[in-house]
Amino acid sequence: MAFVEQHIHDAPTSFWSKYLFSFDHKVIGKQFLWFGIFWLLMGGLMALLIRWTLAYPGVPFPIIGHLLFPHSDGVVPPDTYAMLFTMHGTIMIFFAITPILIGAFGNFCIPLLIGARDMIFPTLNMLSFWFSMASGVVLLASLALPLGAAAGGWTSYPTLSTNLGQPGAGQTMWLISLFLFGVSSTMGAVNYITTVITLRAPGMDYFKMPLTVWGLFLTSILNAIFVPVLGAGLLLLTFDRVFGTTFFLAGAAATSGKGDPVLFQHVFWIFGHPEVYILILPAWGITSDLLSFFSRKPAFGYKMTALSLTTITVLSTVVYGHHMYTTQMSPLLTQSFMTLTMLISIPSAIFFANWLGTLWKGSIRFTSPMLFSLGVVFVFGLGGLTGLYLASTSIDLYLHDTYFVVGHFHYTMAASVLLGGFAGIYFWMPKMFGRMMDERLAKIHFWCTMIPLNGIFTGMMVVGYAGMHRRLYNPFIYEFLQRLIPINIFITMSAIAMGLAQFIFLYNFFKTIFGKNIPAASSNPWEVGTLEWELPSPAPHYNFKEIPVVKSGPHEFGNPNLKGDRDFQYQTEELVKV
Amino acid sequence: MNISFSERLIGMIAQGSNLVTKVTEQMSFWERISPPEDISTSGHLIHWLFAYTTYVNLFWFAILCVGLFGFSFLYASKRHKKAFYTHGNEKKHLMITAFIGLGVFLSVDMVITKISSRDMKEVFWNFPENDADVIKVQVLAQQWAWNFRHAGKDGEFNTGDDVVELNHLVVPVGKKVMIQMTSKDVIHSLYIPNIYIKADAIPGRYAKLWFDTTKTGKFEIACAEMCGNHHYLMKAQLTVLSQENYDRWINESQANAIATNDTENMDLRWGWKWGSR
Amino acid sequence: MMTNNPGKELQNLKNQVGMTVALISFGMMFATLFLGYFLVRSNSSTWPPVEIANLPTLLPFLSTLVMALSSFTYFKLEKEVTYRKHFWFATMALGLAFLVLQWELWGALNASGILASNGHVPSMIYAFTWLHSAHIVMGLMTLMWLGHFIFRKPEAVTELKLMNVGKFWHFLGVVWLLMYLMLFVL
Repeated sequence: MAFVEQHIHDAPTSFWSKYLFSFDHKVIGKQFLWFGIFWLLMGGLMALLIRWTLAYPGVPFPIIGHLLFPHSDGVVPPDTYAMLFTMHGTIMIFFAITPILIGAFGNFCIPLLIGARDMIFPTLNMLSFWFSMASGVVLLASLALPLGAAAGGWTSYPTLSTNLGQPGAGQTMWLISLFLFGVSSTMGAVNYITTVITLRAPGMDYFKMPLTVWGLFLTSILNAIFVPVLGAGLLLLTFDRVFGTTFFLAGAAATSGKGDPVLFQHVFWIFGHPEVYILILPAWGITSDLLSFFSRKPAFGYKMTALSLTTITVLSTVVYGHHMYTTQMSPLLTQSFMTLTMLISIPSAIFFANWLGTLWKGSIRFTSPMLFSLGVVFVFGLGGLTGLYLASTSIDLYLHDTYFVVGHFHYTMAASVLLGGFAGIYFWMPKMFGRMMDERLAKIHFWCTMIPLNGIFTGMMVVGYAGMHRRLYNPFIYEFLQRLIPINIFITMSAIAMGLAQFIFLYNFFKTIFGKNIPAASSNPWEVGTLEWELPSPAPHYNFKEIPVVKSGPHEFGNPNLKGDRDFQYQTEELVKV
Repeated sequence: MNISFSERLIGMIAQGSNLVTKVTEQMSFWERISPPEDISTSGHLIHWLFAYTTYVNLFWFAILCVGLFGFSFLYASKRHKKAFYTHGNEKKHLMITAFIGLGVFLSVDMVITKISSRDMKEVFWNFPENDADVIKVQVLAQQWAWNFRHAGKDGEFNTGDDVVELNHLVVPVGKKVMIQMTSKDVIHSLYIPNIYIKADAIPGRYAKLWFDTTKTGKFEIACAEMCGNHHYLMKAQLTVLSQENYDRWINESQANAIATNDTENMDLRWGWKWGSR
Repeated sequence: MMTNNPGKELQNLKNQVGMTVALISFGMMFATLFLGYFLVRSNSSTWPPVEIANLPTLLPFLSTLVMALSSFTYFKLEKEVTYRKHFWFATMALGLAFLVLQWELWGALNASGILASNGHVPSMIYAFTWLHSAHIVMGLMTLMWLGHFIFRKPEAVTELKLMNVGKFWHFLGVVWLLMYLMLFVL
């Protein structure tokens, strides 16, 4: 068995080594959490600016419009609009979801859930966060450039993203920022993979790991393999912009030599499609675990779920072409990509069935993490099923680049990941900060998020089906879209409602961490049996004084063979004496 | 600053709703959200497949909701005190999950893959590129306009009698129209909402697209791929004329073109040999 | 505190896993570049295209030779404990010589009129060699790090350190060999 016992060092005492340049996985996880929440707010504000423009083109943004756009009387100008949706996509994917789901939960949960004292390469872990920070600073700085930040869409297709379409330095800074981010992600991935392979506690084989760890492990594998692919593409595009190479330049602007812009699309989506699963796999893992924890029964078909997730991981690497149907690849290629894409629905349907099976005959406790997990099941059901339209080549002729696509990927990537992230935050809050979040506020937050969220994204699919295409500053210059004004207003109002609802979360979050007279949480407030709940809350320095020996899987609720007064058990009887 | 923020906010919302009442008089919700009118002979294929997928999806989504809400109701801890201990790995459990997995695959994916492949092969990829009786058009996309080129009398592109229109595509009703398309600068995408098709115009490549029409009138053409700050202004008009009107139009435009086209100006000669790749 | 032997073995194992995963990541980056190369090559009717008809041949051949030699000296560095310092110097010198040769190669390309802006095939030659050289610089830094131990703390030169630096260095050699074959030979 590949188990490595880690040394225990003394806890750091100075502010710098404790909170800033910490090697402790729990601190780094929290750093990622703060980082992600900051960018989530930035991205959310941008989303509201975009939505406002789509519903009320030419009308000043309320309250802060005049502050943000003094030169256009509070109205979002068209060039800023392009910058906003580019930055919204980039920020949400790379700087909000990835840090929260993978950075924060990956760092915080992996060692705790597999019974390790820390990540295997703590220095690499710290570097990973500071690389993220550097890339965030570069991106933030690019917003202040005179010509503005990158404005070619988060996909940054050349030739729009070459000097021809983006003359400013913003695009170059975007490329540098994402490259740094890629370095950080790869470092994290190397660390997570090695940790899971070598640091599992004695007795914990792969099929005894919690599904959260499964999700994060598979995510890391995809990260380690496919982020470098993006890195190569970004470097080539940087060379095109800075050193005058012509990989992606074509058409009238390519005076001295010709390249092929579609090459970038291939490279981008070879990375880009796995990236979708990189983002969603941790959320699936968390959801699968929480459904079992709060149904008080073992995860239905645990092995099948784990294998389904693995199958999806493998399939996700060979379906990227469905993003490029309209570039007119060869018919053979197009059809192969369609068929492979359709295959994904088998493992997806299987783990959906398993999720429902977990609920079946359970004894469900509707705590806030459980509500959010059920929310994930609902929105991912919608998101997954709407993917079928887009996978089929003929329907995609009509729906490609419409709001239907926007609605679909927001359901899968934004809605379910956001809900999964909230579930995780509410769930691990006691272990992270030693205090429980207010359950009543959390439930209000859930409903105030869930209802407008469906309004937004279903609305987007409706306007998309009605033909509204993407990335329009003012859709209503098209006559056939003018009938959609009321629906766009409805979507915008829903977005504002959902945005406001997040203040409930922020209030709850800050109050719990910094508020006075908040009682300390017990070691196991949710009454579950994975390893981290055997530790006091918050988890102590170096987690496990003695490394536990694992006897059973993570979801043994109601196992008649287990003794003890609690109805769950995940070992603790025997501890290795070191 | 003599009006308060709230007053201004109310003003804005009123302004927004004025716009709504101005442009959309009486229209039911379903009319509002249904796709643009189909004016092609191929659009119904997409409609049909979309509808099929919707019905089967609704079926599976209903099952999901029954499971999700039904189990949540039935097995809430206050109703169902003790959870049933099972790992869901017995044979019958595996059978049920496998059945659901395969059921989804066979009922939706297999069917739509097959139909979609058939439609693509028989219709959308079946380009009438070299048919005699087809309207050939070359399209050059640029930031932020569409250029449409008809070959003219000699049937050859890039000659003095070519009819070149800016942001205006004119075709006769009932005839097949074959488009070859490229872009001058960045990637654009020709999107005709009323025909339910689009294709990317990529610099350095020639994209192909064909359609036909069943109805005369004026329709809209849009750019669907982000192509810069004024992407939203890249709008063109599709005019479908009856055969006589079209003949009259093309004759007039040709005479006009021969009289005014400057054959020396290389900028105007962006056309290419028909069918080059 | 575990300092006994089984612990050490496991320590080796964990770092091996880490390095292997890291090399997979590096490998994927280069693989993407090579994929681009194959796409370009399969789409072009003539090869080599006119713009790279008169490529220098001697310099890249010398680079390959130097790279192979440095892999060999590193191999000896691992094996020959008594002459370790000599072989360290030899590897360092060969690595630096490789960089000089690359510099010369870019000069020669420039002189024969092959510029990075001359189309995607010349772009590829430049971009591939730039990226590879950047990694060689990284490799030299790890060699320096290893040198620090060889000269200052010989007792801390573990098999693991030797192996991990070696893995990276040989990996760069293999990448160069592939690049040489693709760009200059085939």
